[in-house]
Amino acid sequence: MILAALLLATQVALQDPRLDRLDPDTRSAVAAVVDSARVARLPIEPLIQRALEGATKGAPGPRIVTAVRRLAADLGTARTALGNDASAPELEAGVAALRAGATTQILANLRSVRRPLTVALSVLADLVASGVPADSAAAAVLALAPKARDADLVEFRRAVERDIALGAPPGAATSVRLNAGATDVTAASSGNPGTPTRRSRP
Amino acid sequence: MFEREDETVERVIQHLRRPVAIDPGLDARVMREIAQVAPAGRRVRPLWPLLAAAAVVATVLVARPRNRNAASQADTLQFVLVAPQAASVALVGDFNDWDPARSPMQTTHGGGIWATVVRLAPGRYRYAFLVNGVEWRADPNSPAAKDDEFGTPSSVITVGGRGGGGGS
Amino acid sequence: MGIHKVEPSDAELVRRVRAGDTGAYGALVSRYRDRLGRYAVHMIGDREDAEEALQDSFVRAYRSLARCDDPARFGAWLYGILVNRCRTTGARAARRRRMFVRDAQALDGAAHADQADRLDWTDAVDRALARLAPDYREAFLLKHVDDLEYEEIAELTGAGVSALKMRVKRAREQLQKYLREAEHV
Repeated sequence: MILAALLLATQVALQDPRLDRLDPDTRSAVAAVVDSARVARLPIEPLIQRALEGATKGAPGPRIVTAVRRLAADLGTARTALGNDASAPELEAGVAALRAGATTQILANLRSVRRPLTVALSVLADLVASGVPADSAAAAVLALAPKARDADLVEFRRAVERDIALGAPPGAATSVRLNAGATDVTAASSGNPGTPTRRSRP
Repeated sequence: MFEREDETVERVIQHLRRPVAIDPGLDARVMREIAQVAPAGRRVRPLWPLLAAAAVVATVLVARPRNRNAASQADTLQFVLVAPQAASVALVGDFNDWDPARSPMQTTHGGGIWATVVRLAPGRYRYAFLVNGVEWRADPNSPAAKDDEFGTPSSVITVGGRGGGGGS
Repeated sequence: MGIHKVEPSDAELVRRVRAGDTGAYGALVSRYRDRLGRYAVHMIGDREDAEEALQDSFVRAYRSLARCDDPARFGAWLYGILVNRCRTTGARAARRRRMFVRDAQALDGAAHADQADRLDWTDAVDRALARLAPDYREAFLLKHVDDLEYEEIAELTGAGVSALKMRVKRAREQLQKYLREAEHV
């Protein structure tokens, strides 16, 4: 029965015309990973996108398959940490945070104070990518998560990145911005209608 | 006493006269804004020959929420690349199946400012620019995708769904 | 010897922009961005607000370029727009003026003692500058950092020359006082 379901699912994945951009062997291998993910109720679109990214970038088939398998495994880890009700975007952002060095416990802690978590997890990953130690980034996001809006978190990340670009040590930039920004976040969250809107930045 | 005071203030002045790092993307943001508000009745000629010389080879500007559909929480985002020498630019990413044909970028007044608009639901997306069909460029003003497994640069944009957008 | 690049004058670039050559405005932006950016950063104190003010000023100048009576003095005219823009920004930026290196924790991260000293001095100057009244800070920066003549500053700010001289004098005295206090902290 399970085998039959799997075979049926595999047929579904192989029928996705987007995968035609892969060579036959790679396509079969990717379809198998996608189908396993579908059965496990993991989001499959990120897996397909990763395969298509590899195809467009001209990556060798085995590398594409490895990347897709690794992503499927990490999505499973993220779901274990975030819970079965985590959305697909949250799981994708969770993967980024895990790959940046956040622990599953950090993900679970964040889940307990904030929903949705997509931006918080993304900011955590992006801070680490900027050179902030994973524990500092996690501590900062955990501190901000209960009250900050998504836009506040993004602004925090930009401020830290800017300070780093100006020569501040990444950990110190994070802690100082966290302390300096605490009142700003509170003020912004109060929704003061008189506050001019900051022009958004890249 | 007075000499010492003068020395201190002079030291302050010299300190303040040092160059200050300004966001290199500012020039391009200005040019994009004025391109949109070009005075009526004026013929707009191809731009950038001078700016191009002074600017970095390519500066990516903005992935910026323009408005919000409360029902779907999707954001309409404009991606802009300044690439005066490019013959074609495509935006590719998780939102368009990494298909260069899906989001070709258009030049603004033919002056090397390439732009396209994409509507994205909340989520974290990887993307890159494909210049002249062969050259991959990341967005220097967005976080880099560190887990690049295919050997070419990509960037990340996050579209938020809680309070104030959060597009980055 | 060598290759010399002849830069077009401000007047020539303004003329080209008015004739529809939008790209010529890019040259004006490149020409003035660093100098005006430095003023905005020191005046406002918050880098992002300063860049926003600078960007707005360039765009406003473009929109009202027809009102630039003397294209040869485009720079001074642009300065005037930025000075006004900084005044309106300053009020809201003041409450969140912040310098990223200003506590012991941050300094612990400095790799070398001289780096720490440099950061300390930067922080002290930023703090002292922030304590000045905005019109004192404005006059001091325009006179001593941007090297403008009092007559030019008077034109930009609308204040009289004697008042400006007094502001600069007071600014110098107060900077000295604040920095001396910082030494003893």
